[in-house]
Amino acid sequence: MKEKAGYLPNIGEELAYKTVTFAGKQENLEVELPLLTQEQTNLVLENVRKASSDVLKSMTISEIVQVIDAVIEQLLDRTNYYRQKAERLLPIITGYDEEVIRTGLTTFLKIFRKHHLQRFLVEDFGNPLILDDFQPRTKRGFSKAVGPDVTVQIWSGNVPALPLWSLISSLMVKSGSIGKVPSAEPLFAGWFAQMLVDVEPKLADCLAVVWWKGGDEERERHLFKQADVVLAYGGNESLESIKSRVPITTRFLPFGHKISFGIVSSMSLDSRKAIKTVHQAANDVIRYDQQGCYSPHVFYVQKGGNVSPREFAQLLAHELEAFEKRYPRRSLSMEEGASLAEWRQKEELSMLTNHNKEVLGETNGAWTVVFSGNEGELAPTSLNRTIKVMEINDLEDVVPFIEPYRSYLQTVGIAAAPSELFAIANVLANAGVTRITALGSMNSPEAGWHHDGRFNLSDLVHMVDIEHSAEDYAESFASYTD
Amino acid sequence: MTQEIVNSVLQFIDHGDTSDEAFNEQALRLFRYQYKHNLPFQMFCRQKGKTPRMVKTWKDIPAVPINGFKELTLSSSDPETAEDVFMTSGTTKGIRGKHYHPTLTVYDRSMYVNFKERFMNGKDRMKMGILYPTEEEMPNSSLSHYLALAFKEFGSKDSQYFVSNDGLLVEPLLKELEHAEKSGEPLALLGASFSFVHLFEAMQTRGISFQLPKGSRILDTGGFKNKSKELDLETFYSKLYELLGVDPANCINMYGMTELSTQFYDSGNDIVPSVKSGPHWIRTRVINPLTGEEVVKGERGVLVHCDLANFNSVTTILTEDVGKEKAEGFLLLGRVQGAEAKGCSIAVDEFLQAAKGSSR
Repeated sequence: MKEKAGYLPNIGEELAYKTVTFAGKQENLEVELPLLTQEQTNLVLENVRKASSDVLKSMTISEIVQVIDAVIEQLLDRTNYYRQKAERLLPIITGYDEEVIRTGLTTFLKIFRKHHLQRFLVEDFGNPLILDDFQPRTKRGFSKAVGPDVTVQIWSGNVPALPLWSLISSLMVKSGSIGKVPSAEPLFAGWFAQMLVDVEPKLADCLAVVWWKGGDEERERHLFKQADVVLAYGGNESLESIKSRVPITTRFLPFGHKISFGIVSSMSLDSRKAIKTVHQAANDVIRYDQQGCYSPHVFYVQKGGNVSPREFAQLLAHELEAFEKRYPRRSLSMEEGASLAEWRQKEELSMLTNHNKEVLGETNGAWTVVFSGNEGELAPTSLNRTIKVMEINDLEDVVPFIEPYRSYLQTVGIAAAPSELFAIANVLANAGVTRITALGSMNSPEAGWHHDGRFNLSDLVHMVDIEHSAEDYAESFASYTD
Repeated sequence: MTQEIVNSVLQFIDHGDTSDEAFNEQALRLFRYQYKHNLPFQMFCRQKGKTPRMVKTWKDIPAVPINGFKELTLSSSDPETAEDVFMTSGTTKGIRGKHYHPTLTVYDRSMYVNFKERFMNGKDRMKMGILYPTEEEMPNSSLSHYLALAFKEFGSKDSQYFVSNDGLLVEPLLKELEHAEKSGEPLALLGASFSFVHLFEAMQTRGISFQLPKGSRILDTGGFKNKSKELDLETFYSKLYELLGVDPANCINMYGMTELSTQFYDSGNDIVPSVKSGPHWIRTRVINPLTGEEVVKGERGVLVHCDLANFNSVTTILTEDVGKEKAEGFLLLGRVQGAEAKGCSIAVDEFLQAAKGSSR
């Protein structure tokens, strides 16, 4: 099977492609990634910049929202051509189970429906019309939010459809986009771009989805020089290197790798509720095999409930085994297998010195739960359904364990009573956590969330103010003035 | 008891019975001994459900991950009375792996017999230049002990060390190379792979090269370990040829580990990666890290070595090296690379870096 990745405005030139082969369970898929020359990149840049100011900037925000909504609606329809393609090809590319992809896509896509997009807008701007025209401010005067002409976006990772976050965000601030797909999931972004253009042909030149080898200094330097905003996902090392190529006059928005964890209060562990709680926790572990920045590595479980932290670990193991039947883990490469085995062996070895510890699951099984008593320390597991459970006396006890990693913290999935929730939320906020969500929802942030504590939309724009004085002063020159 | 085991190992090395039965019998004897006297190992075996009753062949002996040498004291006799302890250079949280040797007799014999066979090319002694610090300068290094043995047992009287703690002694070494070229007496250069890279750099900045006499040999080991530029194998051996005039067929790479008492060699590097093999008292399996089962012959997997000269610690270790089985041995394909994070969740390595950077 063959599939072309990416999307390009019509620049009237032959393109070169690089072919990457993905081995699926039944068949192989060859993906052709568009590889542009310097001149072609320039042409694309020119087209996008022009279309961004001619087309996007002249559309109203509600028109743009309509277009996005129409595309999302199509993608939620399982008989749609692209949706079917996604369900067929993404499992081959990413290795995730078909069911995981299918349910994951739906959960993810539905937060980009019209009413959610409106929430996004209100969340960041209060009055979305500020994107169309100068709007009166309570401080007097007027302001308008102006999006960049060109946003360059560098995506990473294999979590399907993830580029939609930034692609949709930049569209909503009327910015043209040039996106670089990751070779681990190069397809979805290009399909989405094509679908937008099918719905609204005017957008044809407003976006480009391409590929180049990450770290191609000359190309990146050249591109970044002409971008208004550079937005990048990846590990700190690659972000550092991208940053070094972004000129000071260009805004750089980095999204680094993060670590997330869960907190389970004893209140959620009475005999009736515990099973549900554990089910939710397991759900967070199996979604995309913990590859998301919002996926848990550790569950801190409070002592004193009907179900003890050790029992919680055992129940979690049971639940993961049950999930494995319905949503099997993706098959791992030798490297992934080796690093998982290494992590597991280290845990097993430490059982010999820490007798409180328990390692659950077969070595060749699809999951590992480690109960490590009061070890405490927040440390990444090997992912791919490897999770640690640790006991705490009070919910606040997590603080010393997480504080050293402030800049890496993201989501906390929590199962606790309301009074506990708000008390611990304050503590977590001070420690650097940026998102607190229900246990079981860690992998599906809601519309309008603050990704890594930042603003999805308003970080992209700049505000233009008409100060009150100008308005007042202008009055004195009006033809109708006395 | 220890003496009895030591004798049996020495006998096994000397006797040269290469049959499966003999290997198996000796491996099981050592397993029973270690299970009984090396208590952390016994706990490890029990955890795996592998007691002497369950272990029927050498392949059943549970392989201890090399991290075990950091976390546990793996010794069948009192570590306090060990004649020597070799330590790994790599650390986890500042802890180095420790390999206790109650006596070095076995290690030394294993090295001697194997080195003579695989490196000396029929000669008893050669003039040697060692590109690694001495044992005095680097106590607890198995490699410095290994090279000291080579120097003492196989080096001619005028052999020399060309590395001190301050690094490569460039000028004396270049002088020696020049002398060798003129005198026509074959020279053996032995040392860490990165020391050779330092030598290349020194020669290249001076714009010189030598043509070492016929019969000269080179032994490199250990890779570059961030101590020099990383060269791929082809470049490395073609540089040795270009700058020292030693044919890749006479350049031997030794693969050894602090956790073992026996080394592997190739028979030259005219084809890279070369096939590595060991003597009859060490055997290697290539396994799938997740299942622990042997992979289909010829597929990539992680190497497990069963070294019968490891009489005191554990015979069988699980490495972090990737390899492929071959008819005459195995291909060494490098270390297991930490799998790159697929998504946006942080990977262990990056996190550890952060931990180092924080003020804890």
